[in-house]
Amino acid sequence: MNGLHGVIFAYGKHVGLRELSENRTPASVPFGGRYRMIDFVLSNMVNAGVRDVGVIIHGNYQSLLDHVGTGKEWDLSRMHGGLRLLPPFAMVRERGSGTFRGKMEALSSVQSYLERIRQDHVVLADSDTIINLPLQQVYADHLSSGADITAVCAAKGQGDLEGATSFVLGEGGWVQDTLYNAKDCAGLRSLDIFILSRDLLLELVEECRRKDHYSFRNAVLQNMSGRLKIRGYVWEGYAAQIRTLSEYYDRSMELLNPAIRRALFPADRPIYTKEMNLSTTYLDPDGACVNSLVADGCTVEGTVENSILFRGVSVAKGAVVKNCILMQNTSVGKGASLSNVIADKNVQITDGCTLVGNERYPIAIAKNAKI
Amino acid sequence: MKKECIAMLLAGGQGSRLYVLTRNVAKPAVPYGGKYRIIDFPLSNCTNAGIDTVGVLTQYKPLELNSYIGSGQPWDLDRANGGVHILPPYMVEGEKGSWYKGTANAIYQNMGFVDLYDPEYVVILSGDHIYKMNYMKMVAAHKAAGAACTISVIEVPWTEASRFGIMSVDEENNIVAFEEKPKEPKSNLASMGIYVFTWKKLRQYLIDDEADPKSSNDFGKNIIPTMLAAGEKMLAYRFEGYWKDVGTLESLWDANMDMLSRSDLDLLDDSWPVYARIPNQPPAFLGKNARVEHSVVTQGCDVEGSVFNSVLSDSVVVEEGARVSYSVLMPGAVVERGATVEYAILGEGVRVGAGARVGASPMDYDPDRWGIAVLGPSTVIAAGEVVAPKTMLDSNHEEVSR
Repeated sequence: MNGLHGVIFAYGKHVGLRELSENRTPASVPFGGRYRMIDFVLSNMVNAGVRDVGVIIHGNYQSLLDHVGTGKEWDLSRMHGGLRLLPPFAMVRERGSGTFRGKMEALSSVQSYLERIRQDHVVLADSDTIINLPLQQVYADHLSSGADITAVCAAKGQGDLEGATSFVLGEGGWVQDTLYNAKDCAGLRSLDIFILSRDLLLELVEECRRKDHYSFRNAVLQNMSGRLKIRGYVWEGYAAQIRTLSEYYDRSMELLNPAIRRALFPADRPIYTKEMNLSTTYLDPDGACVNSLVADGCTVEGTVENSILFRGVSVAKGAVVKNCILMQNTSVGKGASLSNVIADKNVQITDGCTLVGNERYPIAIAKNAKI
Repeated sequence: MKKECIAMLLAGGQGSRLYVLTRNVAKPAVPYGGKYRIIDFPLSNCTNAGIDTVGVLTQYKPLELNSYIGSGQPWDLDRANGGVHILPPYMVEGEKGSWYKGTANAIYQNMGFVDLYDPEYVVILSGDHIYKMNYMKMVAAHKAAGAACTISVIEVPWTEASRFGIMSVDEENNIVAFEEKPKEPKSNLASMGIYVFTWKKLRQYLIDDEADPKSSNDFGKNIIPTMLAAGEKMLAYRFEGYWKDVGTLESLWDANMDMLSRSDLDLLDDSWPVYARIPNQPPAFLGKNARVEHSVVTQGCDVEGSVFNSVLSDSVVVEEGARVSYSVLMPGAVVERGATVEYAILGEGVRVGAGARVGASPMDYDPDRWGIAVLGPSTVIAAGEVVAPKTMLDSNHEEVSR
């Protein structure tokens, strides 16, 4: 046992995130006032002592590269190891320019990287899970249980099973069945975080490559359930997987709940992100700002309620912002009125403009738009 | 490796007029403006001006300052060639080595460090002021005039001139006279304590000054008057803009209040960012009943009460029903339910118990007995306790007189 190596899948594209994921992978979609989605699993790994992390990327990754840089914010800018961004350098597939069909194909495209992993165990994680998971506990559990693969899943009743992988656990937490999109089953939602040994991972990647099997769920979790001991690790804490705009909106708004913030941002397991070095946020006597999360560098002269303001947002006098998510450097002009709006970065809302979305169907405004 | 210009930042002073706030940290490490420390200003000015080699001379309680500066990464001063260097006093072979006797002696003891870079010019800075300044413009003026020493000066009100080192200049801004805190000032140009020296010149003056047993080895008291008397070309560089000394409790409080207006000191200007080492905290949360007016908040703040005209640093908590006004709350300060904090400075990690009262408005108070209330780092005020204005308590809850 010499520790865990991290592999993060950051190549996906969720059509459901619409405007937010138009020019970036879900991994770099802004979340929670100052974070990107990938910050959570990446920080979870670092906080568990993981010192080498590979991030598998495939197209649309400009924004992600800009965000993670050399990995110094996560203390992963290291002489040996540290953060490695992995474009598909060993891609053997010849059809089209589409992204990977599944995780096994993504892993096989970086097979030579995997072969050089110096740790005995590997944690595989998706990049769009909002969680603060003590991974060292999952790792300890994996080692003591003797499982081949440990799969982290949400506690019963947490998380919708629609469009998700779910596990039916038997006695001792062993996985009896792996299902997909099984809305009505008694399973637990997979949080798509797995621990297995490096040797097994390499063996599985090679085997799937030869057979042209690309799906981890189908080819490994389901088809190999007879020969692999797969165990579920039930995470009782907070977790959110964000794949649609309404999930994005609901999960963001949940952050206004102090209990959820405490669960996601405990003092001993910080979530790291790229620092922007903006000044403090100023609240003007003419404004009012309640039940809201406000990042640094904002100027609030209007009214803000139940909202999340990212760094550098300005709300001018007389403007009213309710139930909104305004990303970095968005400005709201004088007397404008917004409710249930998600504005991406650098959006300009001109003076007097009114935009009203619905709680169930918020308005999303693309990056750099002027309205 | 030769550099045209390097900076030496004098950060070893105790800052005794900040009393409890500098009991365990050097003055440059004192928090300011919600997310800065005083030293962020000279360090950011260096990096923005293009000076990539900075020696930080430390002596008094340097631990927090050292760990804050670290590799210099937040200021982009983690360089392969140059970068930020912490320079404490050190032992010398054969001799004893000694503490820094004065500002000039501190540079004298580190001549070897300066010589490593063989610079033409050395900028001497201190960690006492809040301001944004392009030191390379000053170096350019120094170069153009062919000066041996250039001192940056600012016009101060005549009534206050006797508190400063005052320069008299001719029409070309050549310094003709220098007086330290004159009773009857002949000019209102005050030295800002920022010097540019031609290194070859300064090097010799430092050696001569060290050889003089009567010298107190200080720039203002010895080096500058000696150079002036020797007829060296001394230039005054006029600075216009915001510049504030934060050496006293009142001026530190004042400078914090100044940043609220944003007009005097624009910290949002991205052409001259002020960098800081920033802890990882979620965005500030303003609760359902929060009322925050003419104040600044930052990451990690959690406000459920009322805050007026105040500066809140990271991880500050203002609980429901608590009221904070005209105050500076340093990182991690907690004001519990129903407590009132007015005209006060709360050091890092202070806890004000429920219903307690710290400080008061000057309006309700005898002006002779009124002043800013100051709680040193980690002071705990019990529920319901009253701390009168002008009172200063240390972390053991013992009163300290000014």
